[in-house]
Amino acid sequence: MSGICLIDETTSPEDIKTIVRFFARVKGKTLNDVNFDELKENIQTNIPGGLQRRSAYLTHPLFNSHHSEHEMLRYIKSLEAKDLSLCHSMIALGSCTMKLNATTEMVPVTWAEFSKMHPFAPADQVGGYMQLFDELNNWLSEITGFAAMSLQPNAGAQGEYAGLMVIRAYHNDRGDSHRNIALIPSSAHGTNPASAAMAGMKIVVVRCDDNGNIDVADLKAKAEQYKNELSCLMVTYPSTHGVFEESIIEICAIIHENGGQVYMDGANMNAQVGLTSPANIGADVCHLNLHKTFCIPHGGGGPGMGPIGVAKHLVPYLPGHAVVDIERGKSIHAVSSAPWGSASILIISHAYIAMMGSEGLTDATRYAILNANYIKTRLEHHYPVLYTGANGRCAHEMILDCRAFKNFGIEVTDIAKRLMDYGFHAPTVSFPVAGTVMVEPTESEPKHELDRFCDAMISIRHEIDSVEKGLSDKTDNPLKNAPHTASVITANEWEHPYTRQKAAFPLPYVAAYKFWPSVGRVNDTYGDRTLICSCPPLTDYEFEESEVTTPEFGT
Amino acid sequence: MKLNIDYQEKFQARHIAPNQADTAQVLKAIGVKSLDELISQTIPQKIRLKAPLNLPPAKSEFDYLNNLKQTASKNKVFKSFIGQGYNDVIVPGVIQRNILENPGWYTQYTPYQAEIAQGRLQALLNFQTMVVDLTGMEMANASLLDEGTAAAEAMFMQYSLRKNQNANVFFVSKAVYPQTIDILKTRAQPYGIELLIGDHQSVELTDSMFGAIVQYPAGDGAVYDYKDFATAGHEKGIKLTVAVDIMSLALLTPPGEWGADIVVGSSQRFGVPMGFGGPHAAFFATKEEYKRSMPGRIIGVTIDSAGNYALRMALQTREQHIRRDKATSNICTAQALLAIMAGMYTVYHGPAGIKLIAERIHGLTVLLEASLKQLGYEQLNKTYFDTLKFDLGDFTPIAFNT
Repeated sequence: MSGICLIDETTSPEDIKTIVRFFARVKGKTLNDVNFDELKENIQTNIPGGLQRRSAYLTHPLFNSHHSEHEMLRYIKSLEAKDLSLCHSMIALGSCTMKLNATTEMVPVTWAEFSKMHPFAPADQVGGYMQLFDELNNWLSEITGFAAMSLQPNAGAQGEYAGLMVIRAYHNDRGDSHRNIALIPSSAHGTNPASAAMAGMKIVVVRCDDNGNIDVADLKAKAEQYKNELSCLMVTYPSTHGVFEESIIEICAIIHENGGQVYMDGANMNAQVGLTSPANIGADVCHLNLHKTFCIPHGGGGPGMGPIGVAKHLVPYLPGHAVVDIERGKSIHAVSSAPWGSASILIISHAYIAMMGSEGLTDATRYAILNANYIKTRLEHHYPVLYTGANGRCAHEMILDCRAFKNFGIEVTDIAKRLMDYGFHAPTVSFPVAGTVMVEPTESEPKHELDRFCDAMISIRHEIDSVEKGLSDKTDNPLKNAPHTASVITANEWEHPYTRQKAAFPLPYVAAYKFWPSVGRVNDTYGDRTLICSCPPLTDYEFEESEVTTPEFGT
Repeated sequence: MKLNIDYQEKFQARHIAPNQADTAQVLKAIGVKSLDELISQTIPQKIRLKAPLNLPPAKSEFDYLNNLKQTASKNKVFKSFIGQGYNDVIVPGVIQRNILENPGWYTQYTPYQAEIAQGRLQALLNFQTMVVDLTGMEMANASLLDEGTAAAEAMFMQYSLRKNQNANVFFVSKAVYPQTIDILKTRAQPYGIELLIGDHQSVELTDSMFGAIVQYPAGDGAVYDYKDFATAGHEKGIKLTVAVDIMSLALLTPPGEWGADIVVGSSQRFGVPMGFGGPHAAFFATKEEYKRSMPGRIIGVTIDSAGNYALRMALQTREQHIRRDKATSNICTAQALLAIMAGMYTVYHGPAGIKLIAERIHGLTVLLEASLKQLGYEQLNKTYFDTLKFDLGDFTPIAFNT
């Protein structure tokens, strides 16, 4: 038998003594049989010269100037102040569900009982986590209507991949290894085809009709054409266009009739909870973005969690793990390093469900739909709403069409950047339709915040009108020059045909609480042409026009 | 006045913002009489659930936390000497309170709107810089999901870049962490990639191999000199991925100096709690020549409209929403918050501090080996950083109270 012992940052010489005492006792000896203090005085590395690091690292001033706590604190705060977060205003990103991340949900994440647990700790030491996972599994199964969940996938896209691998294993197990075609609607999120490709599937695109719905005739034709090779359909519900498609049950039935499985992308689950469910519409697998519908914060681009739920016939194939025994019989290999993915943030979703209950969760869905339809009502006379359901309603989000403004030179990006001057983060830009924005308010925004946002969008629409009518310059206008930084507004020279007031304080509420973008519009092509992906030393980087401010490196 | 003692604060009323008066106005504006009417106009009747969800009654915030304390107490917090890619850490208080526990850092979205995201873009650039410096590579991305998936991304990148289209074997050192090998198996299967798991010291390199992965230090703690292995591989057109322990690179020659093409690993050790498996940020570093094949989000320097220093996500044309099925990876959400924490850990400690921490870890390991040697235990790793491997013979575990 061999044993491995690892030392970390928290280990002390006393801990070493404890381990030595233990090993001594096994041999019937004591610590006195070791010259511990003598050994302690002369510790030499055993790393041979050739493997010892000679090169310097972390030499940039940034890593050498924030070592007192005050400096560190101020550095962290100086960076934080440049970023717009939910602390400032609604972030109405369609398909991202930027709802409340309640403090109570977050508090336990850093409790030692959760944060200091090793993922491979013995089963008899992790009863708390096991209970939490059991409850969360049951609750999410109830919400999705599925038989079981795998909490392993670490993000939505990884959930997609895991779900498709489960479908693949199912077909293979039934001797249908030739089933490798994934039908994907043209409106799908880009990760869908990417995940299908990773799972070794061939992608056949299904058309959408003029209303943005899946073209059922096209779907049927393709499902029948490939009935011998059909692996699955990947479908988002409600659709990425923000609509509850009437034909979803028929769609799922067509896939099943032709031997395929239905993978539901759970990105829009916030419009389903308590009112309908993936199993109810006929899906076999779905992933849940716990960082959308179930309150894990987005963290500025992660972490997330993308557990998958599956119908009974797929349960045996849910991911296993090489170190911790979570085998289900015919499990696929692991998709994440840790058996339960990013375990500590599962607490957040657990807390959310436990504190909302059935009625609260269902109400969250209802109010998410209410808030979206309110924005639609206020904005549809200013921006065409691209797709709606049979009764003219949107689900929990809507697409505002900005393509017509292109005729007089206004791009959707100009609207996105101009929103910053009003203190808002742009909605989702150019997804799922280029030249549009997709707005999702969530249930966590009060009416007055929705009104502020709508006022901003309407005010921007008036600015667009001015350009269209020739009242504003085509290129030198508040939209094209957005966002306006404090240094631009306070510069000695101001040569634009509109006022500074108009630029920075376009509505009264902005003056009451102004968030200043820290830089002007970024130049994407410049950066891609001369790619620099680490902190540049002052001398290496030349500016083309730096008359406005002195560049601050590494601040 | 009669006093109401049945009042229980409802979390629901905190999470769902619209109040009754506002809701009435909103319903009127939309043109419906009730919320139910709106919902029935929105969701097709035939897919509606017939019964409410069967979930436990809602708890108040106060009750939930009290209850959770009891559940939490069933987790036993002991000193962990397990390792295997996860290490206990000291999270600097200033980072824990002001980043990990701070909604100003955790409630933002991915920095697509760069002009109002310069703070975290800088923090992520710091992370990339730290990874580049410690690994000795030329560029790094701003995080992948975990070490295992980073290794799988590396394998696939090597596969995509292979010159010999018939090469389909990927060599995996048997000393790579078992959970990483498990993920490689999942990812290799659909592409018909054959994994050859073996000893890097004895494996015969062939033309059918397109890549290899080794662990540094190895999964059992041994530190090998892989230089000759890297060189021999390169002669056969085999690219090399090295999975590393980032802390060890403060003392060990970085893989970038001895021939690695890709370096991956977890940055958990830099001040991010173990959390029973995550979340942690994995890193992925490579050479400049592979920049267009690198998975994940990359932060890059550019200028703004006034010509000033500005940051944004670079090379976005590689992303799935543009490349769709041509995308080489489906990475979307990453581990920004944790990458920011790990980067800040190095800002806080600096190179001298990191080196002291690494030296102390290594020194205590040396001390343990020397002590156990005096007791007659045989340690098997000739060279190590923080992990010892003992031959225990017919050892029987015993309970021990200190």
